[in-house]
Amino acid sequence: MQQPRVGSDLTSWLFAYPDTYEIGLPNQGLQILYELVNERPDASAERAYAPWIDLEAEMRTHGLPLFSVDTHRAAGEFDIIAFNLSAELVYTNVLNCIDLAGVAVRSAQRSDADPLIGAGGHCAFNPEPLADFVDFFVIGDGEEVVGEITDVVGAWKHSGKRSGTREGLLRDLAGIEGTYVPSMYAVSYDGAALVEVTPRYPDVPPLVAKRTVADLADWPYPRRQLVPVTEVVHDRLSVEVFRGCTRGCRFCQAGMITRPVRERPAAQVREMVSAGLERSGYDEVSLMSLSTADYSGIAELVRDTVTVGAGGGAGADPSRISVSLPSLRVDAFTVDVAAQVSRARRTGLTFAPEAGSWRLRQIINKLITEEDLYSAVRSAYSQGWHRMKLYFLTGLPSEMDPDTEAIAHLAANCARIGQEYTKRASVTVSLGGFVPKPHTPFQWFGQNPPDELSRKVRLVRSALGRNRRVQLKWHDPAASTAEGIASRGDRRVGVAIEYVWRKGGTFQEWSERFDLALWQEAMSACGLDLDWYVHRHRGEHEMLPWDHIGAGLHRDFLWQDWQDALAGHGLPDCRWTPCYDCGACTEYGIEHIVASPVAPNGGSQGTGQDLATGHVVPVELRPRQLAGAGAPAGGGA
Amino acid sequence: MAHDARPRRAGAEPQCRSHPRGWETALRLRVRFSKTGKIRFIGHRDVARVTERAVRKVGLPVAYSEGFSPRMRMSFGLALPTGYESDGEFVELPLVDSAVVDGVAGDTDALDGVDAPSAARGPAIVCRGGAHAPCEHEPELDAPSYCTIAEALSEALPVGMEVSAAVLTDGRGPSLQAAVRMCGWRFEIVGLDEAAAAKAVAALLAAGTVVTERVHKGETVRSDIRPSVEVLQVVGRSDLGAVLSAELSATPRVVRPSELVSALAPTHDMGKARRTHQWTCGAAGRAEPAVPSRCAQRQKETLSG
Repeated sequence: MQQPRVGSDLTSWLFAYPDTYEIGLPNQGLQILYELVNERPDASAERAYAPWIDLEAEMRTHGLPLFSVDTHRAAGEFDIIAFNLSAELVYTNVLNCIDLAGVAVRSAQRSDADPLIGAGGHCAFNPEPLADFVDFFVIGDGEEVVGEITDVVGAWKHSGKRSGTREGLLRDLAGIEGTYVPSMYAVSYDGAALVEVTPRYPDVPPLVAKRTVADLADWPYPRRQLVPVTEVVHDRLSVEVFRGCTRGCRFCQAGMITRPVRERPAAQVREMVSAGLERSGYDEVSLMSLSTADYSGIAELVRDTVTVGAGGGAGADPSRISVSLPSLRVDAFTVDVAAQVSRARRTGLTFAPEAGSWRLRQIINKLITEEDLYSAVRSAYSQGWHRMKLYFLTGLPSEMDPDTEAIAHLAANCARIGQEYTKRASVTVSLGGFVPKPHTPFQWFGQNPPDELSRKVRLVRSALGRNRRVQLKWHDPAASTAEGIASRGDRRVGVAIEYVWRKGGTFQEWSERFDLALWQEAMSACGLDLDWYVHRHRGEHEMLPWDHIGAGLHRDFLWQDWQDALAGHGLPDCRWTPCYDCGACTEYGIEHIVASPVAPNGGSQGTGQDLATGHVVPVELRPRQLAGAGAPAGGGA
Repeated sequence: MAHDARPRRAGAEPQCRSHPRGWETALRLRVRFSKTGKIRFIGHRDVARVTERAVRKVGLPVAYSEGFSPRMRMSFGLALPTGYESDGEFVELPLVDSAVVDGVAGDTDALDGVDAPSAARGPAIVCRGGAHAPCEHEPELDAPSYCTIAEALSEALPVGMEVSAAVLTDGRGPSLQAAVRMCGWRFEIVGLDEAAAAKAVAALLAAGTVVTERVHKGETVRSDIRPSVEVLQVVGRSDLGAVLSAELSATPRVVRPSELVSALAPTHDMGKARRTHQWTCGAAGRAEPAVPSRCAQRQKETLSG
């Protein structure tokens, strides 16, 4: 068991996950940073998770603060409390945890000696809704910047955190590339419209560009994955095989903000798998990425992985190691790979076609054909699986009723294929309401209101008719609306988030705790127009709340891709085709790190892609804003 | 008193459950471990999961079930309620056929770098990292004892779970869960002084029946706990209150110390409770499935000293 050191001279981080331990513990980002900080001789890191409502009530009754799980140290004693933001609906939990730590919820009311409140993760790419509560955000990969922040905060700590020095510290933090300090920026509006976000000091960068680690091979973390003694959601070894994805699915924020693709060398993956299994005692490993079937040489890798435990002796029977592949690509090749590694009982397999019709899949750039899906499903049923789960989004741009109804058609065909192989064949359709995300081509799109999403769910249900082989499940459209507020909100929606929290609205991503009425009440009490924030289409020239945050993507690339989407033009994966200069590589002077020049075999997602593409994106290169001293020059801004 | 097991009632004999198919012939490693400190808050299923991972870390040659999703075979003694500590938990791990190597006749290649086992003491157990010979220092034990395996398992288990013995048994006999007939306990009653506790104990022992209520699967069940109480006495005091010890028979039903506390002092809470023993009962009287090995005890003392 790892036991962090405790010492008053150590710069101390409390990494907090704003959801329960069971959900938060497996988070790899948090574990990587936890380990990196603890490797430093001058720093220590511990962890905290949001207490469930019953524990919170006990803590408040007995005056107990939020504390670390490692040494039960009070959160208020740490120098930095840093939150992982994986989803928007956890924002009220962030406020609750800050409050439970005994720290003022609003940054402006904190004193010099109070812990700094930090946040990072995918949602930090639109930090504005939490701007009034969080002292600093980290944009992008945290591996390098966590050390730079430790240096700056450590120097301040050792100078005694004297009264009146917090502002200067925050200004120093704002000088670190990839670190956004919201209090260093003034925001002006013209009525509802956002007009300008301007730095308050000349040394504060007008655009905060994300951090990207150039080569994953330099960061073989976590080396010592945490092994929980109680059950958690992903109770297995996880090894990240690559970061980034350039499939270019237009709804997918992760695929836009984590570019370029950086594969971990296969030899390092093998080493991390074998060392990880041996020290953890796990018998299952998950090869993590946004689309693991796209890893160069995936078939060889999984074949090697199942035999990796063969170190001699009967206790290490390699046939006991099972491999899980998250996010299966929709083709028969991928199913064959999955069949090769699945030692467990073959029950269910999940695919994500995301849209029902080829027309709509071209618009969202999820370029899989109906034949791809059917061959994947046929392959799965023929190899012993009998339950297919299909993920779809509804409320996508230009979605018309025939597109929505096509979901039922696809599902029914899959079930029919299954019946050729087994009487038990069944298909589950899981329907989620689409929430447009910042830094994606769909960031300008007006989200469907909840009643429209509900109508589309009913449409699928009635199109399915009395098909007993197909089960329909759907995400609460009301929750999508609240997610939309936080997803594309500006600094002004912070008061509404605070309102919801003050009214007890914690754990909003838990359906039994979610209450849309509370969010609607909060918006109107704060004088904010929910329709304006969530349901309205935005124009090309409108300033967006996250325009001063750089994900590397040119804004004109995103706009062009949005226009191409509406015209039904697909965009190929730039990993294996010429660069279309989205900005993610050229801005940073980095490149894809991919071992194979061609896609792993199979289907339209593999080598068989033949698509009508959009026109060439006009991009010009401009000199890049230097965000911090010593940053390498290159690219444009 | 009551050091011999006395069946309380003719009809209350526990059924001797047979093992799953394939168990009867296998040799089993019987492991005794503790569960103290913070780790007492993990449940029985969690204990099974961390034990399974520890076995894999050590590379013990434990048998798996057959079928689509093979699971590691293991069998625990009586389940310990979550929140209770214990000095006497047991798990039996059936070994694969190729797991043991006879010191004289066996495949000595597998014993590379390990002291050659004494044929008189028992076979070596071949793990992933090498073979483990039985301990030479405990000649009085009936079964071969493997202190180095105990040590490796302790290292692989979470803090608070310490392995005090690992002995090799033949595959005969009922499962531990069925074989355990009595448990020893030590527990605190918060805010009760020793004299008051002694008075309550005397009253309980004098009573013919002690009916308590408990909620079982959503229903309130009333039952007599008196038949299970073999020994009950006050043994001292702690910072919180009186400390009692008890020996409770597993028949006619398993009684928890918390039920005793609610019968002895209904207005007081139970403090910490610790299981000290689990006993099986045979023709030769009662016995523990495995006693703490002196080697393991010595190691513990060296560490703490």
